[in-house]
Amino acid sequence: MIRPATARRSLLIFVLPALAIYLGFAVLPLLISIFMSLFDTGKSGTGFIGLGNYIYLFTQPVVSARFWNALFNNFKYFAIHVAVEIPIGLLLAALLTGGTLSRSEGIYRTLLFIPATLSVVIVGFIWRLIINPLWGLVGFPLLGNQLTALPTISLMGVWQYVGIPMVFLYSALIAVPNDVIEAARIDGASPWRIFWGIKFPLILPQFGLIVILTFIWTFNGFDLVFALNGSAPGPNYSTDILGTFFYRTFFGSSGQVADLDLGATVATVIFTLMLCVTTAYFWLVQRRLKAHSA
Amino acid sequence: MQSKQWAATAGAMLGVSLIAMSGAAVAQSVTLTLGSWRTEDLAVWQDKVLPAFEAAHPDINVEFAPVNTNEYNAAMQSQIEGGAGPDLITCRPFDVNNEWIGRGYFTKLDGLAGLENFDATAKAAWTVDGATYCVPVAAVLAGFYYNVDIFKELGLAVPTTAAEFTAVLQAIKDNGKYTPLAVGSAESWQLAYNGLYSIGPAYWKGEEGRLGLIDGSQKLTDADFVSAIAAFQAWKPFLPNGQEALSYSDMTQLFTLGKAAILPDGSWNINQVTSTGLNVGVFGPPAVEAGGQRYLQEMPDMAIGINAASKNQDAARTFLSWVAGPEFQQIYVNTAPGFFAMSNQPVKYDNVLAQAFADLKTGALLTPRLALDRLSAGTPPLDDEIWRLLQVMMTSDMTPEAVAAELQAGLASWYSPQSAQ
Repeated sequence: MIRPATARRSLLIFVLPALAIYLGFAVLPLLISIFMSLFDTGKSGTGFIGLGNYIYLFTQPVVSARFWNALFNNFKYFAIHVAVEIPIGLLLAALLTGGTLSRSEGIYRTLLFIPATLSVVIVGFIWRLIINPLWGLVGFPLLGNQLTALPTISLMGVWQYVGIPMVFLYSALIAVPNDVIEAARIDGASPWRIFWGIKFPLILPQFGLIVILTFIWTFNGFDLVFALNGSAPGPNYSTDILGTFFYRTFFGSSGQVADLDLGATVATVIFTLMLCVTTAYFWLVQRRLKAHSA
Repeated sequence: MQSKQWAATAGAMLGVSLIAMSGAAVAQSVTLTLGSWRTEDLAVWQDKVLPAFEAAHPDINVEFAPVNTNEYNAAMQSQIEGGAGPDLITCRPFDVNNEWIGRGYFTKLDGLAGLENFDATAKAAWTVDGATYCVPVAAVLAGFYYNVDIFKELGLAVPTTAAEFTAVLQAIKDNGKYTPLAVGSAESWQLAYNGLYSIGPAYWKGEEGRLGLIDGSQKLTDADFVSAIAAFQAWKPFLPNGQEALSYSDMTQLFTLGKAAILPDGSWNINQVTSTGLNVGVFGPPAVEAGGQRYLQEMPDMAIGINAASKNQDAARTFLSWVAGPEFQQIYVNTAPGFFAMSNQPVKYDNVLAQAFADLKTGALLTPRLALDRLSAGTPPLDDEIWRLLQVMMTSDMTPEAVAAELQAGLASWYSPQSAQ
């Protein structure tokens, strides 16, 4: 038997490499970024200004209007993903496990998941050509209209990532015990009733996880919007999300000085928002689920 | 005896090593790094420009170290503020560089040999309080590329006035075979840089209007500026279908495929525009009335300055003197066609279209882009607002008056010469 002290020491040795990398490349930059957000760099050098950057971000009329606009757009971007991606993912997972696709199941599963493995730049490029009024299939300028631009980009994101909720739900569906389903079938339940009465309640916990993962992806989102519309995504900032707002602030542009401190402030606000939402989820939902199934 | 011999040997050894050391000092070369945002120019610098310099200065090596364009400002700022950064910094024009000068990033270039080759206007984008901090490298011009064969086919002449310009567009539209103007609104920067800033100076009288905004004697809601914005809006009926969602590259493609007659664009796009072997000509922005003054947008684009923290100040000055001279200008503008020398020394352009572009300067008053000097150094930056509102105007029914009013309100909210009134 290994003594507790030895066990603890070897535990430390095993954990240390991963911990060092995590601390050095995730925690430390995060802390530096929070630290940076308390400073202001100007002509007289860098000075400590406390929460000055946060006050500026939330009270400067133009900057705060852009921030709230980006936040609001990000919620829309998230909502469209949840509302479209999850039902389609569920439908595809149900069809894949429905038993009618006996041999082609693997092929479909692979094909539907392929977009999720593509580079966003490629996805943006292909879709931009497909909906291009000049060379493509759609005459209406979907990306040039303030009402349709954001939904259009969101749906491209859905097209790309629909495979992920599908795989989550697929693996939950094949884990549903066969004996329960057989019993229901003997009792004369229709496939429709079996799905909604038995399978669906059993995979329900998956949805919370998918929603929170979609939240994290969309609020960290940047690449697709940037690939399609650049860092000042128009028209009239209608496709601006937090990621592009941060990028514009932090990196500046040919005519704008890069504001590293304010960029760090925006990054910290995004981090705080995501931390609050995910923590609330894990405390309120995930914990209860565990207690339930036990 | 023995000790004497030892001393002699030691002395000889010391002498030899001293000679070796001084020899090393003579042969020791300095390496300068040159930071730039022009990743696409790597071959231009490495294969053409720098070998020419190093041939004349074997003791100085220059290493071209470009950073991704979008990340250039942030990269330079964090490097220099961290006490590092390249020896030579490529300078953005106007406001960004003024801020960098204010932060003490650059060494003053007082008395640098070769600086006398540049007029005050050429140095203006990199000068603060009479002191110049960067040697101008190149400027870009904006005008209208046109498909010579389409003009011949339809019997059109190059327009010289606003009325003629509209008549030409109308004639192409009536013919129905070609798109008159290749312009798309998906990328808002080009609406400003290739559209309004190109035709507008004829209405606001170039430098008169631009400097009037800077000193507060003119407003964006003045008739000159509103008519300029209205003249740009008047392009709308001549644009391709679905222009609201068409990008800059779509427009270049439409033109190079021979499907559009005119492409308002910058000189930097010369290589792409002629890549399909099309017969391309170029004309300048039309005058408002017959016999009226012509204006041309000449935008200072790039200059090079010395990092104040660099340990190789002398070598860096030697390099910049060479950059200021005719040899560099000649090599650079001919390996990167579409970029134009800013010095008052004569330069010959091998590229026919580049020479045609340069010829447009004759008889025209030159002016840089309207909003990049001082007017974009606050929040909201005027340049960003012009991009945004021109895009709104071209994709919705916003009027030129409303655009001008919103631009003026944004500028007056932070720029004191404008808010004083």
